[in-house]
Amino acid sequence: MGICYQGRTLKQAVADKERSFKDTGYAYGLKDLKLVTDDPAKFMRFQLRLVAACINARETAKLISANPVAMLQGELLFMLATPEGDCVAASYGLAGHIQAFPFIVKSIANLDFEEDPAIEVGDVFATNDAYYGAPHNADNYNWVPVFREGELIAWTVGLNHIVDVGGLQPGNLGTLSPNTFTDGFIYPPTKIGARFKTYKWWELHWKRRTRTEVFNILDDKMRTAGAVSLHNKILEIVEEFGVEYFRQGLKEIIERERRVLVERIKAMGVPGRYDYLHLNTVNYRGVIGTVFPRSNRNWLLHEPAELNILPDGKLHIDLEGLTSEADFHCNGYEAAVRMLSSLGCWPLFAYTVTLNTALQYMTSWNLPPGSMFNPQNPYAATVMSLAETGKQIYMFHNTLSYAYFARGFLEETFPGDPSGVGYGLAGILADGFQWGGGDMTLVTCWSSGGLPYKDGEVAYFCSPNPAPDQGETEAGEFLQPTNLTIGKKLIPNYCGHGKFRGGLGIGMCQMIVDPGQFLMIAGFGATGGMTRVTTGNCGGYPGLNDINYFAHDTNMREILAQGKPYPRDFVEIQRWIKDGTLKAGSVDLFKGASPNVSCKDGDLFAGATSGMGGWGDPLERDFALVEKDVHYGWITPDVATSVYGAVIDDKGKVKTAESQNLRKQMRDRRRERSVDAREWWKGERDQVLKKDFSETVRDMYADCLRYPKFRRKFVDMWQLPKDYVL
Amino acid sequence: MSEQIATRENLRLLVEGKLAWEETKKLIRLSPKDTDRFWKYLDILQERVAWKDRILLRISDHLYIVAKKGGGRVVKCDCGQELGDYRVNWKLNCRVYVRRTREEMAEVISIEEALPNPELVEMREFYCPGCYAQLGVEVVPVGHPLLFEILPDLDTFYRDWLGRPLEDQSPGWYAEKTPELTAKWAKGG
Repeated sequence: MGICYQGRTLKQAVADKERSFKDTGYAYGLKDLKLVTDDPAKFMRFQLRLVAACINARETAKLISANPVAMLQGELLFMLATPEGDCVAASYGLAGHIQAFPFIVKSIANLDFEEDPAIEVGDVFATNDAYYGAPHNADNYNWVPVFREGELIAWTVGLNHIVDVGGLQPGNLGTLSPNTFTDGFIYPPTKIGARFKTYKWWELHWKRRTRTEVFNILDDKMRTAGAVSLHNKILEIVEEFGVEYFRQGLKEIIERERRVLVERIKAMGVPGRYDYLHLNTVNYRGVIGTVFPRSNRNWLLHEPAELNILPDGKLHIDLEGLTSEADFHCNGYEAAVRMLSSLGCWPLFAYTVTLNTALQYMTSWNLPPGSMFNPQNPYAATVMSLAETGKQIYMFHNTLSYAYFARGFLEETFPGDPSGVGYGLAGILADGFQWGGGDMTLVTCWSSGGLPYKDGEVAYFCSPNPAPDQGETEAGEFLQPTNLTIGKKLIPNYCGHGKFRGGLGIGMCQMIVDPGQFLMIAGFGATGGMTRVTTGNCGGYPGLNDINYFAHDTNMREILAQGKPYPRDFVEIQRWIKDGTLKAGSVDLFKGASPNVSCKDGDLFAGATSGMGGWGDPLERDFALVEKDVHYGWITPDVATSVYGAVIDDKGKVKTAESQNLRKQMRDRRRERSVDAREWWKGERDQVLKKDFSETVRDMYADCLRYPKFRRKFVDMWQLPKDYVL
Repeated sequence: MSEQIATRENLRLLVEGKLAWEETKKLIRLSPKDTDRFWKYLDILQERVAWKDRILLRISDHLYIVAKKGGGRVVKCDCGQELGDYRVNWKLNCRVYVRRTREEMAEVISIEEALPNPELVEMREFYCPGCYAQLGVEVVPVGHPLLFEILPDLDTFYRDWLGRPLEDQSPGWYAEKTPELTAKWAKGG
């Protein structure tokens, strides 16, 4: 006798769900939406009651947390799921996580949790294990079953992104980890409590296995408390509407939303194929590879995607050609791909009454076995899986923007680039106190890409989190007293240029003060020393690299003592060093993530991110917009001239006649130095035939050519011998 | 509602990048969207070009797939330059300039510290051979196949989604033909 409806086991219920969709094409086999049709107003009331319950859980439970990432920056979520794991309602917050929970439920079903350790009223379960459905170990799920008269009728779930995961690097988004054992604290699905309370022993794991134990213990309590309070609220709603209505209503939410999403694609898109490519780097050679021989190399990650908008309005995404799994930190599983990528679906087409998993019924993915998003090695490291699986967010942003643009819905375009600089840190203060922390401030305030009708915005949203907040600098300084924030600002010229340019990137600058015995900082970033995505839009330039910049052994103390101004971002630091205003013994520049970097008193640490890509030819930018840029200091006059062909006078005005003449000269220059594509193709082909690549690029192609589809594309493009190998 | 917001004039201003942000927000909030948007859009686009070929789809700021009177569907720039069968990546009919060094990239990337690493990638710029508008930019490793941003399934779109089948519809249309051009080039043709 199982715990689900009509005595089915959880494993049977999950299998039935999958079979009924496969057989009928409708979620849960629901051809008719009886409740929706009979009384839509009642159904809406029911649905909104569920959403309100989730938001209530969030707003009360979060007060238990002391972690600024959860409390102030909104990195948390509470949700309601069907017994089979489909999420039907959620609070605001880290919305994508609803996509992962079905994988977690399927895991515990297949692990026969129903038999052992058993699933009973008041039990509390938890996991952060990517192998079983969590995206990566920074994201922790606690959930409780909702029973009514012995039947499992739902799950309530609490989720948040913790500050430190106990990995090789401090913080939660490590970029050095060759295998799961160096990822930090990972726990498979675990029964961590009973009678609606977590076991006391559970706290010891956080205390012993992570750096920020108090934050993590309180976060854990927050997740459980929220899930339990949501559980209680759900039972009230069940009493109000009746269990039959509740059981059927949850399923109808999913099927109705599935239909909405399909129709929205058909209403705004264009069927066809859309290509997307993202690249990133992993630089382990000589860093971690001296200890882990299989990691003693660098990788150029190849992350192509082909979005197919199918005739029936569904979406199929093919990632063949993806870099293979390896001993690096950025492997991921299907749950992570679906979870992260959904964040590109919400703003583009999946905005509905509630957050739910209907997406899983209208999207399909090809994740080739052995690729980095379908690793066959169960010990693959996944601590930073979100960084790479998250690139698929922008696959949706960019490809669907082209589709909407083609259809005429320019206002719905929303091209975007992966972004986000932050850091983890750990140290020992002068009195011997060991501590750790992390900051995601710049993850929460992205700029946006240029649109076909206007420039990108600045510092106004966060793609992974629909309800973000930059938090409070003072709170950060209280919790991380070694890092004094001396600058947070937009950086001039830090964008992809275009007819409509990308939003300017934002930077942050900190001075290290009194670190005591030891301090190290590990910065993370979304780029790998190239550009953000590989293409600008319609002739615009792609967005620019994230930056993690360190200046060591500076004279900042003297500058402050003399009351002089100080630099506020990495551009200013670099410029001041060049002109001698600032002295620095050495600098470290990373165009993306940094390894662990030791810092001393007076050192400067500057991060910058979110210099987004442009749309359209920069030489077509309206002079009035250039003038405005110069007026506000967003674009400097020299760049206005060299990139936009706008000559600026002493008062910051565009000299129209001279500028028109300059633009003509710049177009002439394009004519003079370009070649016919055929000539370019011959030259590039020769290079491919001679295998004239840098080592990192050659390794990338050698790996990806093992996958038939990419091999065919590559061989066809350059008309290579069928036995071409690298 | 949609008649008042998604007017031809507002759409024309949107296409020109001149629609006031408050009006644009009304368009964003419009739900459901105007079902005749595509037809209004085509009318506006057709009025903006000097040539008569019928626009089937806009695929970039300057580029359109058009129906040729004698048969065929080709990519055409608003300046009148044609860039071949729409199933062949139009970039292969452009003028191409490749930035390979830091100095060359620094002309268009204005933050020195954020320049791409030329050991890893080159910056390809694609220009219209007619008007020299910059139509596309790719920053990819040398030898990477061109990215084909959009290959539409036009027949499904017109027949099944819009309910107005194209006269020359055929099951053979929806297939990439780029390899046919590169094969021809490899043979010296």
